[in-house]
Formats: sequence, C-alpha cells, structure tokens
Amino acid sequence: MLSIKNLHASVEDKEILKGINLEIKAGEVHAIMGPNGSGKSTLSQVLAGNEAFEVTSGEITLNGENLLDLETEERAREGIFLAFQYPVEIPGVSNLQFLRTAVNAMRAHRGEPEMNAAEFMKLAKEVSKQVDLDPAFLKRGVNEGFSGGEKKRNEIMQALLLQPKLAILDETDSGLDIDALQVVSNGVNALRAEDRAILMVTHYQRLLNHIVPDYVHVLAGGKIVKSGGRELALELEERGYGWLGIKDEETADSSAN
Amino acid sequence: MKPAPTLSSAFLHPVGHSLPEPLVALRKQRGTALVDMPLPTRKTENWKYSSKYLKLTDDMAIALPAEGKTGSSLAVPGYKVAFLNGVMIPEASEYPDLDGITIQSFDDLSDEEAADLADRLDNTLDNNAVQMARLNSARFEDGLLIRLSPDAVLDQPLFIVHEVTADASGSAFPRIYVDAGRHSQITLVEEYISSGSEPVMVNTVSEFTLADGANVTSIRLNMEGENVQHIGATGVRQQRSSRFESHSVGFGGPLRRHDLQVRLEGEGAECKLNGVVVTQGKQHYDNHTNIEHVAAHCNSEETYRNIAADQSHAIFNGRIHIHQDAQKSNAEMNNKNLLLSNGAEIDTKPELEIYADDVKCAHGATIGQLDEASLFYLVSRGIARREANVLLTMAFINELVEQIPVAVVRETAQTRLNQFFDQTFEEA
Repeated sequence: MLSIKNLHASVEDKEILKGINLEIKAGEVHAIMGPNGSGKSTLSQVLAGNEAFEVTSGEITLNGENLLDLETEERAREGIFLAFQYPVEIPGVSNLQFLRTAVNAMRAHRGEPEMNAAEFMKLAKEVSKQVDLDPAFLKRGVNEGFSGGEKKRNEIMQALLLQPKLAILDETDSGLDIDALQVVSNGVNALRAEDRAILMVTHYQRLLNHIVPDYVHVLAGGKIVKSGGRELALELEERGYGWLGIKDEETADSSAN
Repeated sequence: MKPAPTLSSAFLHPVGHSLPEPLVALRKQRGTALVDMPLPTRKTENWKYSSKYLKLTDDMAIALPAEGKTGSSLAVPGYKVAFLNGVMIPEASEYPDLDGITIQSFDDLSDEEAADLADRLDNTLDNNAVQMARLNSARFEDGLLIRLSPDAVLDQPLFIVHEVTADASGSAFPRIYVDAGRHSQITLVEEYISSGSEPVMVNTVSEFTLADGANVTSIRLNMEGENVQHIGATGVRQQRSSRFESHSVGFGGPLRRHDLQVRLEGEGAECKLNGVVVTQGKQHYDNHTNIEHVAAHCNSEETYRNIAADQSHAIFNGRIHIHQDAQKSNAEMNNKNLLLSNGAEIDTKPELEIYADDVKCAHGATIGQLDEASLFYLVSRGIARREANVLLTMAFINELVEQIPVAVVRETAQTRLNQFFDQTFEEA
C-alpha cells in the first residue's frame, strides 16, 4: 500500500530524514520507534504533506500513486490520515462544522452525496461515544479548551469518521493517562481492517501493549536502523536504544545535525 | 506653506426640500458656522490615516434628487422606513401605529415639535471631534424622529433603509434622532445601500438619547457601492441603568468613515459596541469610537474585528475616557485584525484616558495573518484550501456575526461575506 524509497527530507536546509526505506501492506500495523530528534515526527509530517518540510530526494507511493505530486488535501482524499501529536485549537470553527466539512470533502471525492446536518449529527454522536467524548464537544471550537487526552480522542474520532487507507498516529499515546490510553487504543483497534494500514510513531513501548504491531522499526539519525517484529519493542523497553549504537537522546539529536 | 484646504462654499448652497421653519433656521445657522471650515488633512489627528481617501469635488455638493425607485438588499420582514437620498419615502415605508411610539419624518413635524427637535439636534456629538457631522446639520433635507414614551416597547426591529441613487454626482444627508423614554425598548437597523455609479458622498448623523432604564439596540449595515464616500457619525447619551448595544458590519469603499460616540452619563449605564469591517481591492474603512465614562458604576464592552485583503486599508481607533468621578467604571476594549495579503494595511490605536482611581479597564489589540498550522490541520482532513481559508476567516468574526440579534441582517451580511470570499480566495 505505502512504499517509501530512499526518502531524504530537510527543514530549513537541515537534513532530518537521510534515506528512509519502508514498505507497508494493507492490513498491517507498523510501529516506528526511536529517541527524540530521530526524525519520527518529520516522517509523519512529510507523509501528510506539510510544506515546511522539503523532500530533497526519494519517493513515496500510495497504491502506486506518487504521493509527492499531491497537495495535502489530495493526499487526505486518497486516504492518508495523520493523527497529530499536537492538534491545533481553532476557536470560531465548531467541531461539528469542521468534521462535517471534512467528511463531505471525502464523500465528494468519492462521488457520494453530501451528508446533511441531521444525518451527520447522528453519525458524529455515535462515533463520539466510541472514543468516550461527550457529544457536547461537537458544538465547541475545534480542540478549543480540550485537555491533552480529549485532543487525542478527537484525532481518533476523526480517523473513525474519515476511514482512511493509511492512518499515521504521531505520538498518540503522549500525555494520556491509563484510562485515556485504553479508550484511544480501543479506537485505533477498531480502525484495524484488512484494507487499511496503520503506522504508529511512538517514543514509548507502552502503546504497543494495547495496539499490537505486526512490525517494529527503529528510527535513529534519520534512518531506519533496525526492523523486527513485536519482540523488538519489548527488547527496546528492556535494553534501551544503547545496544543499537544509539547512546542517548542528545547523541541522536546531534547525529541528525 | 500651503493654506489648509477648506470646505468648498458649493457645499453650503441652500437646500431644496421643505422642512418646518425651526429646522430650516437650525440648518442655516449651522451652515453659516461652516464657512471656511478646514477639511481634515494628514495632520488632523483623527483623520491621519483617512484624509487621503476624502475627495470632495464641487459637483458632489449638489443634493441628490429624492425621486426614483427604492429597493433594498434586505428582504425586510417587518417594520420598514425607506429613505431615498436622505428623504423619507412614505409609500415605501411600513410601520405600525403603536401606543407610545411615534415615528415621523422631520417633514411631518409641527412647528412646536420641530423647535423642540432643533434644540436637541447635535447634542449627542462632540462636534469638535466629528467635524463632518456639522455638514450634515447644515444640509439634511429630511430625517426620522423616533420617540418612545416611558415603558414603550417596539415588538419587532425597525429597518431604516438608506438608499442613495448615484445616477449623477451629488450628496445625501440622512439624519435620525431616537428619543428613548424611561424603560422603553427598541431595536433599529440602519442599512446603507446605493445604486448607480457616479461619485457621491453620503454624510449621515444618527443620534440616540436613552432615558433611565431604556434599552436600545442599533445595528448598522454598510453595503454601499464603490462610488460612494460614506462619512457617518452616531452619537449616544445614556442615563441611569440604560443599555445601548451597537452591532456594525461594514464593507469597504473609496472612503468609509464612522464615528461612534457614547456618553455614559447616569450610574449603572452600560454599552456594548461590536464591529466587523471587511475590505478588499483598494478599499478603505475607518471606525473611530469614543466612550465617555462620565458617571460611576458604568460598564462598556467593545469588540471590533477588521479583515483587510488585497491592497485595502482598515483603521480602528478606540478611545475610552474615564472621568474623575466615574469610580467603579468597568471598561473592556478588544480589537483584532486579520491581514489577508502583504499589500493590505491595518492601523489600530487604543486610547485610554483614565482620571478615576478605582476602575477596571482592559484593552487589547492584535494584528495577524491566517495561522499556517491551522490551515495545515484543516487541509490534512481533505478540506479544500479555499474552504479552509474561508473557515478560518469566518472564525475570526463568527463570534460577532452570531451576536447580531436580527436573523435577516446576519443572512445579508453572510451573503456579502461569501462574495468577498469568492473574490479573495481562489478555487484550488
């Protein structure tokens, strides 16, 4: 489904990704782990099409289509979804309006009719229950005044509404207490499907206790330095990153320079 | 040194429309005082950013004829008074005969009523600060007097549609006076529209006096064309425990100026002033507000938002003056500005003068652009870039648009805003 070949990307002329290769097939769940500064979030942002990051070489294809030729909104309509590490607050745009506009943009792309306000309200209420968000939040501004956990649940709710082909979860576990982690994990597990892939980017192993990945990759210094199965995450938890030749976060940071 | 420009004597021509004698006398007296009135220049502090947009030519001095068809962009659902080029058109007006509420054109006043009105006109405005309002007093051809007896309540909004027909150069001088008695209530919508394309000037004055406990909501919708220079002033005087609410929505033009002056003269009076301005192309819009906290225990709350696209220019100047005896005053002023293009300009100036020591007074002003992170978030959900721009721009003013208490005004403003979005944000 997703194929990344020798991907190099920079931000403000500083190279962050230095040759990423990754193949993800439909139905698979992949986890990318690595210390801070290793390029995990950059990879997520590049996949979603953030123009602050410049792809200097390499290619990304989604079901054979060149992703790099597509604008962010076109990628979303082709099925890329990024659950943000830090979702923005947008006062003045209600969640309901935002979500309905997004869902209808997807439907229009698929040639389906728009959902009217009443239909959408019904759907949104159902899905908000799935992530344990009070439907009253739909009337509030996008993420406005949300706690960290509510923001993450809102991200997962969006994924459930938009039904992407590839869901990228950027540090979705950060800032969550154990109950919220359980809710979010249930939401992500509900996303698992034969025709959908999930790419989890995480610093910690604990999310992987709840969402069990098929593959684990270690990203350090802008490259994938090791890949393995579920057991690799457990090994990282036990032994840290040191045994892979990554000394600590500072080293990883400076190696990215 | 070049002598300062003065108002051309052409503007002081006698006027044609008949009015009761006391008002004719007032006009004449005001006109005499205008001989050699200096016009605002760049050095006139309260016209600093706007004087360059003021272009009065002698052929604009002619009063536009009060004949022709009237139309309105508002599909007015209830009470309506139609003005054409500053003169009331009774055939196009429709309002009730209610106990305790009189709605009269100046033309219809008895000499006694006209004399009483002549004594009151201009008393709500500090004419030194609002020079151009003097011209209206010298030139108004008609006007609307609304009087509410104590406890009278107008059960629906009253729409006053001011239309100018710019088929030739000229001017119109709409005038309104609202005398709201004790505990009376009224919601009034002033809509300014135009037809025709010749350069014209509209010079308006609206005055409101609120007796104890009166509750007045004033909505101002400025939608005149690209050929209309609009210079308007609104003066408000409030007695004890009265409440004045103002909602203005304005779209830019070659010159748009509105001065809003509120005097809180009785304890417990409160005012809320909301304003939205949208400019594009080479348009201009200048809002000057002044709130005088004269009495103690008064509240004022002011929120203005400007959006400027292309090479347009928006100005906000908000003055709050808390007098020495106005203890326990509570004043809040907030002005936020959104620049949609590198070529646009917004000037904002909060002015606080506080002479009492036990007051709460807060103000804030910001100027910014659409937030890139918010845009990225929206488009990452498949929302088209144009739609994302519209959502974020609307978000900037939604709070104020939603507070306008008359649905048809909100809808009319939204329709015009949608045109603005179509012209400002390209289709992807």
